[in-house]
Amino acid sequence: MSDAALRTPIAATRALSEDWFAVAVGVGVVVLALLSAAGHDWLGWLVTTSVWTDVGKALAPVSKTYADLGGLGALAVTLIALAAVLTVGALAIGLDAKRFAVAFVVVFAIAYASWILGSFANVAVVTPADQAKFGVTWSLKLTNEGGYIVALIAGLVIANVFPRFAEWLGPAIRPDLYVKTAIVILGAFVAVSAAGKLGLASSLLLRGLAAIIEAYLIYWSVVYFVARRWFGLSREWAAPLASGISICGVAASIATGGAIRARPQVAVLVSSLVVVFAVVEVLVLPAIATTFLSSQPLVAAAWMGLAVKTDGAAVAAGGITESLILAKAAAGGVHYAPGWILNVTATVKVFIDVFIGVWAFILAYIWTNYVNPTAAKDKPRLSEIWERFPKFILGFLLTFVIAFALALSGGQNIAPAIGEANVVRVIFFILTFFSIGALSNFSKLWRRGFARLVAVYVVALFGFVIWTGLLISWLFFGSVTPPLAG
Amino acid sequence: MSDDDLLSELQAAHEPLLPIEKRLIGWSLVVGLALLIVLLALGRLLPTG
Repeated sequence: MSDAALRTPIAATRALSEDWFAVAVGVGVVVLALLSAAGHDWLGWLVTTSVWTDVGKALAPVSKTYADLGGLGALAVTLIALAAVLTVGALAIGLDAKRFAVAFVVVFAIAYASWILGSFANVAVVTPADQAKFGVTWSLKLTNEGGYIVALIAGLVIANVFPRFAEWLGPAIRPDLYVKTAIVILGAFVAVSAAGKLGLASSLLLRGLAAIIEAYLIYWSVVYFVARRWFGLSREWAAPLASGISICGVAASIATGGAIRARPQVAVLVSSLVVVFAVVEVLVLPAIATTFLSSQPLVAAAWMGLAVKTDGAAVAAGGITESLILAKAAAGGVHYAPGWILNVTATVKVFIDVFIGVWAFILAYIWTNYVNPTAAKDKPRLSEIWERFPKFILGFLLTFVIAFALALSGGQNIAPAIGEANVVRVIFFILTFFSIGALSNFSKLWRRGFARLVAVYVVALFGFVIWTGLLISWLFFGSVTPPLAG
Repeated sequence: MSDDDLLSELQAAHEPLLPIEKRLIGWSLVVGLALLIVLLALGRLLPTG
């Protein structure tokens, strides 16, 4: 959820538009990528980054068809194309298109520069063989996806050291838009992975159902109880806070706030807390998971989906966890197939998101009938479930179904074609990481009166949610390992 | 009402748990734990590869 959306009571309405726009862009990218399987290379001009020691050789177009563009040419075309498409979207969402376009160019420049920095050989290379190949004697071994962490840190520095600059970038700081678009594209990537390992994929889907039960029935009830009984919060504060900590951060807080007819500012304040804590989780949990769960990559993946709040932060944590665990495993001679850790984290998160509308409806029913009985015209309508349903999930399902059907029908070129779409997905992830950082002004935690909310959050998140998430992930994913590469 | 006023309300909020809230919490936990056990059993029955 963008900062602008956080500040406005009509955030839910805007998120709806943002969702549909994410679906349009994500599906459009996948369709263009699939056309390349039929011999029309529509996305080959996208810029991609290799591990480098000479920055002049870092960038290149993703397809040799567009080799004449060169690295900088591909970067420029990618920026122009993204800026044009997203500015149209910004206009549709109701933003000031000119301000968005200008801010987006700067956001893209900083975020992609972070990505390039993360691909520097001393940051990225993993194995001794690669160190020898690039002529470096040491490396942080983050893989080239260490650029995500660099982008996050760049955003954090801007938000906390240059808050006015962060505010100026505000129109283009839209982590929800970026991550939803990335998740729609990810649907096709998950499909291609799943088609190759049907047994494993269906087994993981069944285990993913546990995430829904845990988030809505276990987390929510315990956090609500803790907030109400131990910390004395009113129902108006406790319910959105419980949803924020338990389900899916910002979207769930706002949906719950609307369902129980809380004042709009309550959900907005809770949401700002969720965003800040999500960043702390992104910085801390992947490192813990890599240290203690590198032999159980899918436990780590599910844990990120269950413990880290907000879609963007959870998927970001999954991405970092994947790069760190794959790097650690590769250094030990084990080469897992890429994508499975991120896929599990994203699937767990998508599963949880699906039921936000249903849960909001249940709470609305209880509140309007038993807690604050209201007139018949104010009772919740079943249509509210659809209104609150996160529409980008439809895009995820659509790209999954299309790519899955094509992959199962034996299309040999589907995986490479989706690889081109994946380049766009990576760019949207980079934008997500930077935006999450740029939204996280930690000074918000010191606002007067925030202490009690922060205390509930700390106790619930670090005392219960994280460890229960780890236990459930271990129980359900402990016996499953990702396939090996090749 | 400003955000600061809203946050100061937090200090003064005292609402006892209603029976319906206790039922919501209790039933959520019972149903949730039961469903997790069922899913765990199903997961053990299905092959993972």
